[in-house]
Amino acid sequence: MVAGDPTQLLLGKHATAKQMLELKRELGLDRPFFIQYLDIVKSAFTFDFGRSWSTKQEIIEMIKIGAMPSLTVSIPAFILSTIVSIAVSLLVSFFRGSKLDRFMVFTCVAMMSISSLAYILFAQKFLAYELGLFEISGYESGFPYFLPYVLLPVLIWVVLNLGPDVRFYRTIILDEIYQDYVRTARAKGLSEKMILFKHVLKNAMIPIITYVVIQIPFLILGALLIESFFGIPGLGGITLNAINSSDFPVIRAMTVLSAVAYIIFSVITDVLYTLVDPRVRLK
Amino acid sequence: MEQVEKMPETEIAEQKSKSLWVHAFYQLISDPFAKVSFIIVALYALVAILSGFDIIAGNWDVQFGEGYSAPSWQHIFGTDLFGRSVFLKTVKGTEVAMSVGLVTAIISMIIGVTLGATAGYFGGKVDEFIVWFYTTVTSIPYIMLLVAITFILGKGLIAVYLALGLSSWVNLCRLIRGEVIRHKDREYVHAASAIGANEFTKLFKHIVPNVLHIVIINFSLQFQVAIKSEVILSYLGLGVQGRPSWGTMINDAKQELAQGVWWQLAAATLAMFVVVLSLNILGDALRDALDPKLKGKK
Amino acid sequence: MNDEQKILEVKDLVVEFNTDRGKITAVNGVNFEVYRGKSLGIVGESGSGKSVSALAIMGLIPNPPGRVKSGIIKYHGENLLDKSVDEMRKIRGNKIAMIFQEPMTSLNPVFTVGNQIEEVLKLHQPELSKQERLVKGVEMLSLVGIPSPEKRYKEYPHQLSGGMRQRVMIAMALACKPDILIADEPTTALDVTIQAQILELMNKLQKDLGMGIIMITHDLGVVAETCDDVAVMYCGKIVERSDVKSIFNNPKHPYTKGLIESIPSFDSTSGVARDRLPTIEGMVPSLFDLPSGCSFQDRCEYSSDECRGKNGSPTLTKISDGHKVSCFNPLQ
Repeated sequence: MVAGDPTQLLLGKHATAKQMLELKRELGLDRPFFIQYLDIVKSAFTFDFGRSWSTKQEIIEMIKIGAMPSLTVSIPAFILSTIVSIAVSLLVSFFRGSKLDRFMVFTCVAMMSISSLAYILFAQKFLAYELGLFEISGYESGFPYFLPYVLLPVLIWVVLNLGPDVRFYRTIILDEIYQDYVRTARAKGLSEKMILFKHVLKNAMIPIITYVVIQIPFLILGALLIESFFGIPGLGGITLNAINSSDFPVIRAMTVLSAVAYIIFSVITDVLYTLVDPRVRLK
Repeated sequence: MEQVEKMPETEIAEQKSKSLWVHAFYQLISDPFAKVSFIIVALYALVAILSGFDIIAGNWDVQFGEGYSAPSWQHIFGTDLFGRSVFLKTVKGTEVAMSVGLVTAIISMIIGVTLGATAGYFGGKVDEFIVWFYTTVTSIPYIMLLVAITFILGKGLIAVYLALGLSSWVNLCRLIRGEVIRHKDREYVHAASAIGANEFTKLFKHIVPNVLHIVIINFSLQFQVAIKSEVILSYLGLGVQGRPSWGTMINDAKQELAQGVWWQLAAATLAMFVVVLSLNILGDALRDALDPKLKGKK
Repeated sequence: MNDEQKILEVKDLVVEFNTDRGKITAVNGVNFEVYRGKSLGIVGESGSGKSVSALAIMGLIPNPPGRVKSGIIKYHGENLLDKSVDEMRKIRGNKIAMIFQEPMTSLNPVFTVGNQIEEVLKLHQPELSKQERLVKGVEMLSLVGIPSPEKRYKEYPHQLSGGMRQRVMIAMALACKPDILIADEPTTALDVTIQAQILELMNKLQKDLGMGIIMITHDLGVVAETCDDVAVMYCGKIVERSDVKSIFNNPKHPYTKGLIESIPSFDSTSGVARDRLPTIEGMVPSLFDLPSGCSFQDRCEYSSDECRGKNGSPTLTKISDGHKVSCFNPLQ
């Protein structure tokens, strides 16, 4: 399905070698890779991605249309999962070593041991279909019409990320709790709560913010699997379709898009770092 | 003048690293969770090997009878579309899972350690290039990276190994690079004299104990990430052909669930859940036991 | 010593720790007193129990794995060990303050110096207004000898040198004018010249503010500079206790003598001209594996059968006025 000469795929099984060669020339696939690379870079700046091979639409239009649905799922999911994860990690860190802590850690690890596909299938089958609690799939654009459709996807996203996020945040927070300045804070007479929420949190925020911000560029594409299963017509779904049909321009466009977003947010993260950590302030 | 055999610092470092391993070993032995997890993983490995030699589950593709029959005493997990025993398929699928985990972790380890150590040790342009390289790799969403690699490599098990291995080494590379840089600085501060091979072996001696625990922990992490990622690959149609794998079983469940057939999904998910959970627990226990900073703290 | 001047009394303090290798008794029956305006030095090597004793006073023994097994810590007529967590919090940083060894890491890197000093004031003197806190904070910085205190107030710890950070720590500790200041190896991590400055500062502050100081150190030089009384600890017990002059001129415990002799010195005030620096042979025994009898027996050149015997370890007995030693064969 995916592996195969693109020109052959486009022209079908009966294409002759000559026809394939011609199409190659037309699409510029016969040019050296270096030139092709430059083209990609150019398209990144001009946002001219060309046309999709399968739908023949202008890719930039596809992106414009697909962005909104992706964001209606990924933004609420991102915000919700970040808040919940940080809250849970703080709770668990406060009660570190206790049964609650160990139970939560175990639960996180257990949750991480189930494939995302299994979660999606299970949720669709049982929560949506059998119990009828949510919409199985589909989408309606415009507020508030999309709400019932994004509920389950958002929930699954949160569940999928809870495990790894809480484990990460917990490690960061505990690292800080064992630092010397916490000992000083205790010696001053501060309560454990104050220590956690004022001293520890502000320090822990530094790596946490880095971790959180760098996830943002990947929100644009949305969760490819989730969009595909729930029929959300977002960029993720578009990408997956493109992969299935070997639609190169689209795949290329999406790759460029996410790469550019990643670079932008890497820079943002670095800047944010200097704002939050007084030790690295730009002089 | 007395002949000083070893720099006292080296001795202390060696003593520290020796006692770290001994301490780690004792800690692991005493942890019931770690013990159980290790046994489970070992069991799975055994099943995979036995299955690989057809000693068990050799008859996984025998069509026993009715397709899609629910779990019963005859077939604990029911049968699939072709009437094959889901239980036997699950057992056979262990091969793919464990081999994917192992090979991927090894590939990822080799690339990560080599590039990380090279970048850290040589610094300069070499370092810059490697950092640029892995930053580029990370900027591509995981699934797309997998797709891109399998596109070049074609389908099949080898492609799966390579695809997963080539997309998961960055983390380890970063960590190793960081450690090498840290230790390299320290060494150059202390060692005012000797250059060349002597320096390199000293560096090596100091770095390896500190870095080995990172490698081990990362290994167990990559192992289970690979097992879970195989499922994604199956969904994308890039998975293993010709033999059952948990990924293809879960993927098939897409259609099956609509017909009320849940047992393939359950069997594969359960099998995966148990081994991935055990690997996670084992990995955590290893980290707690080997991380010198964590000694004494929970 | 005038009992009225006594502000802290530690009696028969025992602190245990539960480790994976077993239970250890870090502090094993320790007694000492702290007087107003006077400094008590607690000297010992690492593992002697000196820091743990201080943490016990502050109520900062991490539990788990440690706990105070028994003893009394009398402060203002009350036993601190009976107090609740909240009550201890009101005392910590307020009436009894502590500074630690590593000034580089003991301050929170993401808050300004001023913020961290004000925190103590906000906590224990909530009646102060923001402006009053600011004034007091700057005052404290100038009291500890930091130049341009208003400027430094707004700076972050990483912008200050080690010596200045330790001064900030002292400022924070003394902001609420405590009765007792516990200093755990305050100068060990600092350069020698800075060390002298900090000790001088502490002496001056003690004269001005009149608090009692517990100076925990392994360095007898520091003791000589700052302390009025000394307690020497070894493996969780006090082996000798006296005023500073007697300890140096007339040490009765072989360990104390060993410590004093191992101070490098160019002149031969100890009466011995020497080419090599004498050291105490052997190593401190592991707390998991203490010998029966006196803990110092393996390293002591005067040890006898009595020391190794079944009489247990020696107890602290009075030798002369204000001088106690715990030894079966005290030096003459």
